[in-house]
Amino acid sequence: MSKEIEVARDVLQDNSQNAEANRRRFCREGVYVVNLMSGPGAGKTTLLESTAEALGQRLRMAVITGDIATTRDADRIGRHGVPTVQINTGGACHIEAHQIARAADDLKAGKLDLLIIENVGNLVCPAEFDLGEHDKVMMLSCTEGHDKPGKYPLMFKESRALILNKMDLQPHTNFDVQAALADARAINPTIEVIKMSAWKGEGLQAWFDWLLARIAATRRA
Amino acid sequence: MHETSVAQRMVDTAIEVADQNGGGRVVGMSLLLGEMTCVEPDTLRFAFGVVSRGTRVEGCPLEIVRVPTRLRCRACGAERGGDLLELCACGMPGGEVLAGRELRLATIDIDEEAARPAGDQG
Repeated sequence: MSKEIEVARDVLQDNSQNAEANRRRFCREGVYVVNLMSGPGAGKTTLLESTAEALGQRLRMAVITGDIATTRDADRIGRHGVPTVQINTGGACHIEAHQIARAADDLKAGKLDLLIIENVGNLVCPAEFDLGEHDKVMMLSCTEGHDKPGKYPLMFKESRALILNKMDLQPHTNFDVQAALADARAINPTIEVIKMSAWKGEGLQAWFDWLLARIAATRRA
Repeated sequence: MHETSVAQRMVDTAIEVADQNGGGRVVGMSLLLGEMTCVEPDTLRFAFGVVSRGTRVEGCPLEIVRVPTRLRCRACGAERGGDLLELCACGMPGGEVLAGRELRLATIDIDEEAARPAGDQG
């Protein structure tokens, strides 16, 4: 004889609970946390190197970076004088909330103004795992194609801002900025857009200003 | 490949709930999977088969119930199916997601008479 038992439980409930605990902690400690997501090679690490260089002296800032293997990203960002913790996910395509809690302990997050999480390069999986951040930010580079917001809508839907990167290469590609933004705004009408070339250092001030404004807004809240 | 993390949690939850209900093998499981949820059913089935091996969930048939997307238009409030890029009758794309993001273990079936195999920790 078998009997049916009602479970009615979200499969990722433990991650959601851990994320909520992170969020309460970050609010209590007064650190603004942003989860930066993109496909692989969009330019997240390059942007974070410039961000560390520009803001590392002005604010107390740290980075958590996730990759399947190697500490190359942490090495690159750490070189700019910002404390950086590398999470190696060992094959997993995303970071989970409990890993952030541990890394935040290592970084003494309570003494920080800004904590940036560089998620694993992936357009699908990170959307399913809340980390307890204040904001998600999506980065899309021109070389990836303008169809990506429509094809991978979830991550664009949940982001507060969209960074369009590698704008210096846009004239050499068939990337249609208007088409990409039309899809992104259809999915997420309030998404804020920042265009840049992280490698060339163009358009970065708008990103720094955005971060500073979000830190200030989170403090007031 | 987050299907493995998802499958592992399904197995853990099923064993936990079975234990709360007198133990026994898990012989059935029903999962609600929203159409917008980024979990691939075939990959999930494969991962479920692998991670359940050697546990009381091994061999359990997995029923995956797809939950269609339901959106509420931000402009006119009308509800509709389809995806975020499809327009509402009023011409507006997108909308509030009412359904389609589920990843929820609905029910499990436990075999009350089957003895728990010796030494099985799972």
